Amino acid sequence: MLQCDFIFRLKGILEFACQLDNPNGVQSQSTISKSFQDLRSKVTSKNIVFTVCNSPVLIWPNTGFQSSVESLTEASACGDILQWIESDDGGSKKSSKKKDKKKSGPTVVNMKLLFEVTEPAGNTAPSLIRVSTQQHCVKMPLPLDCALSVTTDERLETVCTGLVEALNKQLADMEEVVLQYRKGSSFLVPQPFHFQLPEPAGLITVVYPAGVPDSQLQAVREDLHRKFELPCDRPYLRRANAFHFPDAAYKDGYLRNPHIHLNPPNIEDAKLYLVQGVYSYHHYMQDHVDDNGWGCAYRSLQTICSWFQQQGYVETAVPTHTQIQQALVDVGDKEPRFVGSRQWIGSIEVQAVLNQLLGVTSKIMFVSQGSELATKGRELANHFQTEGTPVMIGGGVLAHTILGVVWSENTGQIRFLILDPHYTGGEDLQTITDKGWCGWKGPEFWDQNAYYNLCLPQRPKSI
Amino acid sequence: MGRSYFVDEAVEEYLVGIQTAPGSCVTGLLAGQSSPQRDFVVLAVQTPHRESEGQPKASRGVSPLDDIDVEWVTEHAKQVSRMLPGGLCILGLFLVTPPELSKDAQNALKRLIFAMDKYITKGRLWELSEEDVTDQVTLHICSKTKKTVCKTFDVKDPKSSAKPADWKYQTGVSSSWPMLSCSVAVDVQIPMTGSSSDITDKCMKDGLRRWAKQIEAACCLINGRHALDDSELVSGQKKNPKTTHRQTLPARIFVSDEQAELDERSSALVQLCSGSVKVRGVVHCRAYIHNNKPKARHAAQAIKRDIINTVCSRVEMFLEDLLINEGSHKGLCSGQQALPRRVFAPVPVSGLSVCDYMFPDESTADVAERLKEMLDCKTPEEDIDTSLEGNQLFSNVCGSEITESPSDDSSKHVFSEVQTENPKNQKAPQYYAGVAITAAVALLATATSLLYFNE
Repeated sequence: MLQCDFIFRLKGILEFACQLDNPNGVQSQSTISKSFQDLRSKVTSKNIVFTVCNSPVLIWPNTGFQSSVESLTEASACGDILQWIESDDGGSKKSSKKKDKKKSGPTVVNMKLLFEVTEPAGNTAPSLIRVSTQQHCVKMPLPLDCALSVTTDERLETVCTGLVEALNKQLADMEEVVLQYRKGSSFLVPQPFHFQLPEPAGLITVVYPAGVPDSQLQAVREDLHRKFELPCDRPYLRRANAFHFPDAAYKDGYLRNPHIHLNPPNIEDAKLYLVQGVYSYHHYMQDHVDDNGWGCAYRSLQTICSWFQQQGYVETAVPTHTQIQQALVDVGDKEPRFVGSRQWIGSIEVQAVLNQLLGVTSKIMFVSQGSELATKGRELANHFQTEGTPVMIGGGVLAHTILGVVWSENTGQIRFLILDPHYTGGEDLQTITDKGWCGWKGPEFWDQNAYYNLCLPQRPKSI
Repeated sequence: MGRSYFVDEAVEEYLVGIQTAPGSCVTGLLAGQSSPQRDFVVLAVQTPHRESEGQPKASRGVSPLDDIDVEWVTEHAKQVSRMLPGGLCILGLFLVTPPELSKDAQNALKRLIFAMDKYITKGRLWELSEEDVTDQVTLHICSKTKKTVCKTFDVKDPKSSAKPADWKYQTGVSSSWPMLSCSVAVDVQIPMTGSSSDITDKCMKDGLRRWAKQIEAACCLINGRHALDDSELVSGQKKNPKTTHRQTLPARIFVSDEQAELDERSSALVQLCSGSVKVRGVVHCRAYIHNNKPKARHAAQAIKRDIINTVCSRVEMFLEDLLINEGSHKGLCSGQQALPRRVFAPVPVSGLSVCDYMFPDESTADVAERLKEMLDCKTPEEDIDTSLEGNQLFSNVCGSEITESPSDDSSKHVFSEVQTENPKNQKAPQYYAGVAITAAVALLATATSLLYFNE
């Protein structure tokens, strides 16, 4: 987990422009490099300014640290900046802290990159400079995005110097990507992505060319996995793995990992085994689909698909009920009239769809009686430790998703973390956690006499 | 409930002092600043006499009102609006008529005011905001009784009818108005898709409009404070009617390269161009803001508009000049050409600055002549401040190759031609010392630079 208190994030657009006489000629590369060199000079010049969003604070990082607010000086700790920032909800910071059940992670300070056009070095009046050779005029906005993790007592000045260095490095990385993927006068926009890697690497930024899918960037990722000594069997650097900043909302509106707001049960001698990474909560009535009473397994399957998408294993979107049904027809498991029906599916169908649409294999675990589930602690614990994927469980007339267990190897005591797809309300975290739609259940939760099938999806070995 | 115009006493003096030939009319401009609550008039200028080209025209219409040269009035208005710094603009027109023409005066004024607004706002690079006042004032003065009738028209509404307005004289209307000032580095790269003057004009306009949008969206500090939301402009000076000290507030402007339509792309925008034009240099800008509880963001808007206007005006003037001199077939030539530079001069009594643009071959004498002609004010040459924008140290050159380096403006560039006369003054062009001597050197250097520039 992150040990830092703050993430300073600086974003800004710098326009890359150059004129190429002959895009396929030998000269063009040096013209492009010269333009990037000019941009790097711009970023180390006295004219750059960082403005802190939602605050009156302006900082000139390249003039021996000047700020528009007297009390912020070079010696100021970076935490001092918080008092100047207006929070969006308008409420004071104190009251919102009481509501949070858990600490929500580092505070993000958003900054914007600007350039001063006043206070120029000279005062020569303008001229028109005309070049009348035929040229290819290239313009491209570079979406600069630098992030720095720091502790509260770090000096603000050090943070700003660090950000300027990061800008420089990012421009160099962007130049490399632009040159590598350029074809004549066709340029791809270089886009930065942030990734939270295991310590000591921490928060890093990688520049990828826009429009080139992850599947074509395998070699780049292999290099980076080697460089950062990352395991070679799971993805860390696909675009979907990009770090989600704590203050950013998810545009699709689904809740992410509602379980983190819960306190696990306190069982003596027991250990916690949880799903790894990020999933979205899918349940009845979402997406304007009325599947109340028949869609629970479909929703559990959607939750699992969302996990594979957000961990970077697949780029396909979470499938709709229709797409799930069509997949089963395509593999020959169902007749064509299955599509558009309200028929239930079970773990076997879930396994088939995961294979057909996502290329993911799953293990099936059969339990002849619900009461036996209490004895499956070791298997489930192992699953969450090695694969860490959500588990779909179907039996009786219901389907659920298991997100983790608390299990004692000695006493055998067990509790299950359940995500319930039968919820029909809106994306209200408070209701979902208070009413147990995502909650810890004991072995009595299961129908003691019904038989159950569990689908345990396996992580593909890829990066 | 009509608008209220607070008019400086100096304007009253000027209007009262206008001489009219018996039976004839005099038109003129009124300039100042509008704010949502009230308007301030600080300057009045009568339309200068147009030099007749050949025989005097016979009276065309039934009355002298029909003889008013609408084209000339609007052209004068355009020239004057270029001479006003930020915050100040043309607010309307006045018309002095003999008593017998008074009843037809309103129609004449209405025609004029709509024509003038249309002409002045053509080619403007910034858009009016919702808060901008779109009323223009028309003032009719009877030459015999000196009685005034003041009405306003909403020039954005073609069906607008005359609304009554208050016209009040006051001393020192603008004496405590703070003046914002800054120098702005301009560096705009504009691709040219053709070389005819029509295409050049369009490309220049498009390129400058993009730049103007950046300035409009820019972050602005006035006197060290953010000019945001509804906060009042705090000039740090207690309002005391006795003090006539005018505060100068430094403004700082911060831009970003963000352009919404470009940012969604995944690849670069590439245009095949027949060339490009760069506008590069430093402009000095000023804006006035009234001191009746002004908002900081209005002050910021005033200085930003001045920045945009001054660049746009001088490019327009340069291109107009080219068109007149060279004809429409030539367009811009290669190389570096100086745009006219901005000079400032104080208006008598109020002390407000007005500005003018000096072509490289002109002097302060030319500026003084124009100030007299366009603004009807006598300004001693020594009061004309030419120090705010630096002289470009070369004469206009065509056909030479130019090395581009960011801060290069020295006389490394050689010249082989000199700018021909411009129509503003009919004097012979002035030569820079040493041109004749270095012509031989020029030929040699051009040959050398051509060698290095061929790929």
